[in-house]
Order: sequence, then structure tokens, then C-alpha cells
Amino acid sequence: MSATDRARRTNFLLDVTLFVICILLLTPLILLIANGFKTPQEMLVWPPTLFPKDPTLENFHKVFTETPLLRWMLNSFLFAILSTVAIVATSALAGYIIGKFPFRTINIIFILFLATAIIPFEVYMIPLYFQVKALGLLNSVGGLLVGYLVMSFGIFLIRQNVIASIPDELLEAARIDGAGELWIFWYVVLPLLRGPLAALAVLAFFQAWTAFAWPIIVMTRKKSFTIEVGLANFQSAYTVDLSLLSAASAAVMVPSVLAFVLLRRNFVEGIAASGMKE
Amino acid sequence: MATVEIKELHKSFGDVEILHGISFTIPDGAFVALVGPSGCGKSTILRLIAGLEEITSGEIHIGDNIINDVEPKNRNIAMVFQNYALYPHLTVAQNMGFSLKLLKKSKAEIERAVQHTAEILGVNKLLHRLPKQLSGGQRQRVAMGRAIVRKPQVFLFDEPLSNLDAKLRVQMRAELKALHRRLATTTVYVTHDQIEAMTMADIVVVMRDGNVEQVGRPLELYDKPVNQFVAGFIGSPAMGFLPATTKVGSSEMVLSDGQVLSKPTCAALDGGYIIGLRPEHIQLGGNGASFKATIEASEQTGSETLLLARLADQEITILLRERFDTPIGDVQTFVINPTAVQVFDSQTGARLET
Repeated sequence: MSATDRARRTNFLLDVTLFVICILLLTPLILLIANGFKTPQEMLVWPPTLFPKDPTLENFHKVFTETPLLRWMLNSFLFAILSTVAIVATSALAGYIIGKFPFRTINIIFILFLATAIIPFEVYMIPLYFQVKALGLLNSVGGLLVGYLVMSFGIFLIRQNVIASIPDELLEAARIDGAGELWIFWYVVLPLLRGPLAALAVLAFFQAWTAFAWPIIVMTRKKSFTIEVGLANFQSAYTVDLSLLSAASAAVMVPSVLAFVLLRRNFVEGIAASGMKE
Repeated sequence: MATVEIKELHKSFGDVEILHGISFTIPDGAFVALVGPSGCGKSTILRLIAGLEEITSGEIHIGDNIINDVEPKNRNIAMVFQNYALYPHLTVAQNMGFSLKLLKKSKAEIERAVQHTAEILGVNKLLHRLPKQLSGGQRQRVAMGRAIVRKPQVFLFDEPLSNLDAKLRVQMRAELKALHRRLATTTVYVTHDQIEAMTMADIVVVMRDGNVEQVGRPLELYDKPVNQFVAGFIGSPAMGFLPATTKVGSSEMVLSDGQVLSKPTCAALDGGYIIGLRPEHIQLGGNGASFKATIEASEQTGSETLLLARLADQEITILLRERFDTPIGDVQTFVINPTAVQVFDSQTGARLET
């Protein structure tokens, strides 16, 4: 067997493997969307059908009229956007300062930031709840945001990018050129961090969008639920309304898939590239 | 334009003193090169003049002002960095106009200044490109343009040519020198390459371990180095050094292997010394003292022949202007004019007037 044949065979096997993995990953997603269009009877058919025989919009209609799904999405969206803005802002500032002004005390603070990442959220969830309650922020976006303003991984990501891709000489050149520190941050550092900040924004957005434990204990009124909490509400202790849950989940996926498609390039670039380039 | 005066400059990083009381003056409009091996403190001096580091003690004057506590942006200086430090997200025109924008000049004024500077440097066709779309030499020109455009009192160059290939470096050397002649702005140029210093500078400051060894015109350093370090650092290929002894009244310098070179005119010398031979002063024939040396390596460049030879158990380099083919291991006779031999104190390394 020649080298080209062998290479061709390897490529073929790779393609087949990737294709199978792809199908395995996509099947639940396709099933979910399909289930949204099925009648309750078809839902229970075994084996399950991949495409609904008798597609109906009834489930979607019910979901949007009988539950405040749009309101929940809006809550989630507001929460995710505000959290993203806060995390991007705090990570950019903290990451830049830790990366470029390395005093000993700042390094200690940085290590403390990192250390918070190893404490599971569940450990401080209850004390945090009491604090939010004492502040009178239950059932408000403000209360939701309390745990989602700073991301230790974000600070770490930006610090690494600052160290790897912004040489000191660039900042020194700007200082000699007459720029103040804020100007340098705004017009030199931020534009150069566009890639990693976009990646971080996507991460932060989905972290908030998919948050569950914190919203479910802070938001107790049905109107102030986030979408994750709202979806969980479709299943009670004894019953699960599968067709409604599928329809709601399918509707909820639309904005997140859209966001990912739009920001995909930044996302991949920001995570992958941090080598020094010109 | 301005005179730069450095007085008793000390700089420490923590407990480590990098500069041990440096003083020298850079006349108005002069091109001064700071040269020395890496770690000698030459870049630190430049960064202190720029205000990027704090002075531990001493004074720096630009013109009539002491600038110790003046912010970098108010020193009216411009600096060109080794890695160019161009803003990657800005075009060439924006890079060059950056400092003028910060000075709140009008758009038309910035455009005119950038255009004018770009023409001087021959980069006016590149104004809309980003730095990553430029070659090394073009980036170098843009970095210089960014410095020139604001018409500073003093230019600071930190090894600006060391990232360029050899051919381009020679070309940029000439361009930089021509630019200095045209603008006549006081320039401080840091390099570890003594050829750059010798060819470009009006005045060369040779440094070692945080001290100034000698300040002088290029040829002055070559002809009359104050000590063995300067003699060895200036000149390429480097001077060869040999221990030798003599007595008062004797006309001979005796090498460790018993060979004899005739003494330079100073008859008062007595005892052990170090003598220095410049590679280009050693010849195959002619007047002077002759000596035998063993050839260890030979390099022909076409225009000249570079020989590595062993004399009195020391390696010396010999630079011949003619082609000379000789087998390795051969013993050859060479000649040196006694007046070209330099004599150094074997303890202090100081050169003795001969």
C-alpha cells in the first residue's frame, strides 16, 4: 500500500469517526426540536419518531400563552447582558493591571482571585443568599448579579493575553508620545484585547444564561424567573409535560445559537491565540 | 534641539546598583552613541533620559532644565525602540500622527506633518497600511517617522537596527546618519555594535559594568584608547593582547616564548606589561620588528585574508589586505611597526603613552 493510499485511508476513517460523533451530538438536539412539534400521543410512541408525522404548532402556542416564557427570556437576557458587561469590564481592568503593573501586593491579590475558582459555588451559595436577602435584593436582577460581576477565569485569561501580546515598549512609546494611563488603556490596550474580550463575553454570557442554582434560590416569584428556572418548572414532582418542555426549550435555543454563530470566530480565536504576533 | 547633560547619575534596582555615578555631556545637535557589552547599563541611561525609569540619584539636564521629576511626555523627547513598538491596530499614518493627536493638533496640521515626514523617509505610499503588512525595514522607517514627526528636542534610539538583516542594517545606518545631518537634532543612540557606533556617531561613550570607560571621537577611541577594555572593544576584528617584559634602557619587548619585538619610543618602561597588536597593523613584510606565529585558521573574504594565529601562547588575529594562502599549522613570519604597538599596564589595564 503506497503512502498516499494509507493517507487516504486514514482520512476516510477520520471522516467516518467525526461524522458518527457529529450525529451522536446532533441527535438529541434534533429530537428536542422535533418533539416540540409532536402531539402528546406521538410523544409517547415507541420507538420515537425522528420527524413528527402530524406536525403541530399547538405546543408553542400553549407555551407562549400559558407561561410568561418571553418574560423569562427577557429576565435571562437582561441578567446575562449585565453580567457580561460587568465581567468584561472587571476582567479587562484587573487583567491589565495585574499583567503590566506587577507589584508584590498585586500578585497576592491575583492569587486570591485564582483561589476563589477552587471553591465550589454551592459552598457559599447560602451565605450569599442571606446577604442578598439582607440587602433586599431578592427577586431582582440586582440580586441575581451579585455573584456574577467578576469571573476569576476572565481575569486570568486577560492577564495571560496582556502578558503575551502587549509588549511593554508599546505602553512606554505611548507614555513618551504623551498619553495618560487611562488613554493608554482605552485606545491602546482595549483595541488589542478585542479577541480575548469577545471570547470572554461569550463565556460570560452563557455562564449567566445557563445559570440555575443561584437564580432558583434568589428568584422566588414566577414573573421574575430566568429561563432556566422557568423550564425546570415544567416538570413537577410527579409529571413532566414533555411536549411543552420541548417546545419551550426549542424556543429558548434560538437566541443562544444565534449568538454563538455570530461570535464563533472571535470565540475560537480568543481562546486559541495568545502568541505574540505583530 | 538641546544639550543633554548627565551628572553623577546613579541607578539601582533594589540592592543592585546598575549605574555607578555616570557623567557626560551631549552637545547640542550631536549624535552620541552609547556602546558597551550587554548589561553595561547603556539602555538604562536611555530609559532614564526618557523618564521610563526613576533616577536613584544624580541629575539629567535637557537644555536649561533639570528633568529628573518631569513626566516622559513633558520632556519633549522621542524614542525609537528595538522592536519598533508600533501600535498594531493603527495604520502607518495613525501611528505617525499619534503624538500630534495627543497634543490636540488640528486634523489638517497632523495630516500635513505626517505627509511631510513620510516623504522624508520614503514611506508615503504605505500610509494606509497596518504595521503587520510592512517589512522590517519599512517598520523601522515608520518608527523613526513617529519620532521625527513631533520635532522633539532629543532623539533616543535603543538598538534600532538590531532586528534587521546585515545588508539592510548597513543601508539604514547610512540613512539614519543622513537624517541626522538633515534634522541636526541631538541624538542618543544605544548599541552593542561598535561598528554602528564608530560609523554613525560624532561622539562615542564606551561603557562597562555601569561605568563610563571613555568618551571621545570614534578615531580617538581607536587610536588612543584609555585602557585595555576600550582597546579590545573598539575595532573589528579585535586587538590581540600579549604579555611582555622589558627593562629600562632596553629597546626590546620580550614575549613569553622568548621572541622579541622592538619597543615603542618610551624608554622608561621597566617590568611586565601587556602589549596590544591591531590585526590590521600586522603585515607580511616591510619595516619593523618581525615575529613568527603559527597559523591556526584562515578565512578568505576575497578582499582580505583573516588569519587566526598563535603567538607566545596567545591567540591573535591578523588582517591582511592581500590574498594569502597558507596551510594550517604553518609557521609564518610577520612584521609590525613598533609605533603601532600599544602598551598597557598589566595591573590596571591603563594604556601607557608611548
